[in-house]
Amino acid sequence: MDALHRGLTQTKLKNSPRLWAGFAIPGTVWLIALFVIPFYAVACIAFGSIDPIFRDAVPQWNPLSWDFLQARQIISSLANGPLRGVAIRTLVYVFSAMTLCFLIGFPIAYFLARHAGRYKLLLLVLIIVPFWVNYLMRMLAWVNLLSVDGLFTRLMRIFGMNYNWLDGSPITVTLGLVYGYIPFLILPLYATLERLDWRLVDAARDLGANSRQAFRLVTLPMSKAGLVAAGVLIALPMFGDYYTNDLLSRSPSTEMIGNQIDFFLNASSQPQNGALLVLALSLFLLLFMSFYLRSTRQQSRQITR
Amino acid sequence: MGRRDFLRNLAITSGAITFGGSLLAACGGSTETESGGLSIGTPQNPIKLPLTTDAIADGLPNESGTLEILNWADYQNPESIAIFEEKFGCKVVTSIYDTEEAAIAKLRNGTFKPDLILGMTDTGLAKLIAADLLQPLNKSYIPNFGNVISGLQNPYYDLGSQYTVPYFIYGNGIGYRTDRIDKNAFEGNGYDILWDSQFNGKVGVLDSYRDTLAMAMFRAGNFDGNTVDAAIIQKAGDDLIAMREATNPKVDILAYTEIPSGNRDINFTWSGDLFTALQYLPEGVAPDVLGFWYPEKTVTKNDFMCIAKSAKAPVLAHQLINFLSDTDNALLNREYVGYQPALESITVDLLISSGTIPESLTDALVTPEKYKAGLAQVSLEPAVDALWLEQWTRFTAG
Repeated sequence: MDALHRGLTQTKLKNSPRLWAGFAIPGTVWLIALFVIPFYAVACIAFGSIDPIFRDAVPQWNPLSWDFLQARQIISSLANGPLRGVAIRTLVYVFSAMTLCFLIGFPIAYFLARHAGRYKLLLLVLIIVPFWVNYLMRMLAWVNLLSVDGLFTRLMRIFGMNYNWLDGSPITVTLGLVYGYIPFLILPLYATLERLDWRLVDAARDLGANSRQAFRLVTLPMSKAGLVAAGVLIALPMFGDYYTNDLLSRSPSTEMIGNQIDFFLNASSQPQNGALLVLALSLFLLLFMSFYLRSTRQQSRQITR
Repeated sequence: MGRRDFLRNLAITSGAITFGGSLLAACGGSTETESGGLSIGTPQNPIKLPLTTDAIADGLPNESGTLEILNWADYQNPESIAIFEEKFGCKVVTSIYDTEEAAIAKLRNGTFKPDLILGMTDTGLAKLIAADLLQPLNKSYIPNFGNVISGLQNPYYDLGSQYTVPYFIYGNGIGYRTDRIDKNAFEGNGYDILWDSQFNGKVGVLDSYRDTLAMAMFRAGNFDGNTVDAAIIQKAGDDLIAMREATNPKVDILAYTEIPSGNRDINFTWSGDLFTALQYLPEGVAPDVLGFWYPEKTVTKNDFMCIAKSAKAPVLAHQLINFLSDTDNALLNREYVGYQPALESITVDLLISSGTIPESLTDALVTPEKYKAGLAQVSLEPAVDALWLEQWTRFTAG
């Protein structure tokens, strides 16, 4: 069936190559206009120069004249200078937040897919509804709740917990990231789990696997693609996030790469550094994407086998 | 100190108010400092800014439609703006900036296209002029200009007030909660409290590299807030890092909401923020929980209003400057903003007698003595600016 389908498609393609190529035009134009050109502009700023009077970026559009001196300084700062701590902190925060997202999100998605029964739709809506409110508004609401005289802090005090959530603590920033991005993990994970062939789990149980073994050897491998997709989906924006930190901390001790990019681009006289950090972050995120692509390719190969 | 003394003091200091500091030792006898293409006026060497265009003609009718303002957040009373809109039959829209540097960059690249810019200071003026972003004012539209504090009618950064009209005056110091910190805690070197680890997590400093690095310099006894000395700049960076280790301070411009909400005990900030903070006190919290330590030697300055060269409604922009320079309108504007209008008629005595200022905040008012003793802050030449920013990055990168 699969071979037949492939054969038909190829015949059609041969018959009308222009038509099929035409379908790629909108996507290609979109990519060039909103990704390739802006990305090239970022590189031109990163390897360009600085206006001596206004200290803002003068892009160098000719790659042959690119100046890599500032790039070397940023790399050495990331390796041994002030930016090293920021880079490590960003990694730690994002991986901690991702781990928490998985620990909280997977059971929820699993429950929704397998055990929610007729409440499935209601529960899904209940998870999604808060996220109809703008991200900034939700974070500002948390700032109110967590402030020293805030409702949540006062409630915690009743139970003997006197914790200042907004004193620039890494815990608050990490929890903020979890809160902000967890629905983007739950939804794709739920979509994957819901489509799993649960008869395979039943078969594993029939063949003597206990529930843990069935989960480890059948459910988890089958949901790998969903886990990787959901992980990539939340990791990418988390790495560049700066507003969660801005709203919940504003302390230099929780500064992430996104905050430094924001500072260099908006409030400093070294905008080149901001552009260089964007490039460095993009290169790093490419690793993530390549892992994701490799993993989905493997998955599709296994399915087609 | 009576109103007359206030005026006399300011008149004496007219034009080139005696600021402390050694900032201009290197400026020689010229009338201005030319550095890196920037024309920088200083108290010792006031500057007449160059004119590249004529001011608008006299007697033009007010434009109809929209007046666009660029301003700091919460730096104009919506009620005052509503009155202006009704009086002049126009609509006022406001864009917000949170650092001068970002605002100037966005003005240059066209992101912001305002008619009127509020709250800029002389540290940004040199760049605004170099980028040819301002138009000269036609004072025939601003009869209330005569209300401006006489010492600021001919300021060192803009002799003849060709481009600017003063808006508010303020000084740099430390806002604090009187219910958590005793006034006596500031005896000796008052800045040390920002380095006191018992306030870990309850401290804030201004997200302004010039103000906060200068504060660290003042603490160390270096009272030149425009220093070009790399060692002093480096030491300020080191000291801020030590502060970060000791008290984990927040770096923003939100003292006016965070002190009243109780999230912070201490915040290095602009004096006017504490009056703005009165608006943000939670219900049932008395105004006298807000206090301010005004250092003997600190930056005391004013900001100003100016009109963009590309203004589409320049007449309305002149009208709003005139409107905000009227005593009654300025008092109404102050009720919301909190800062002290730069008008002669609005004296410290008048503000205290208005009953809107709690006794705990009288120290935050800018008296003529404080103004006279104030240290100046002027634009830095680009190479020196880069040194300051390098230290700021070390501090903020954590």
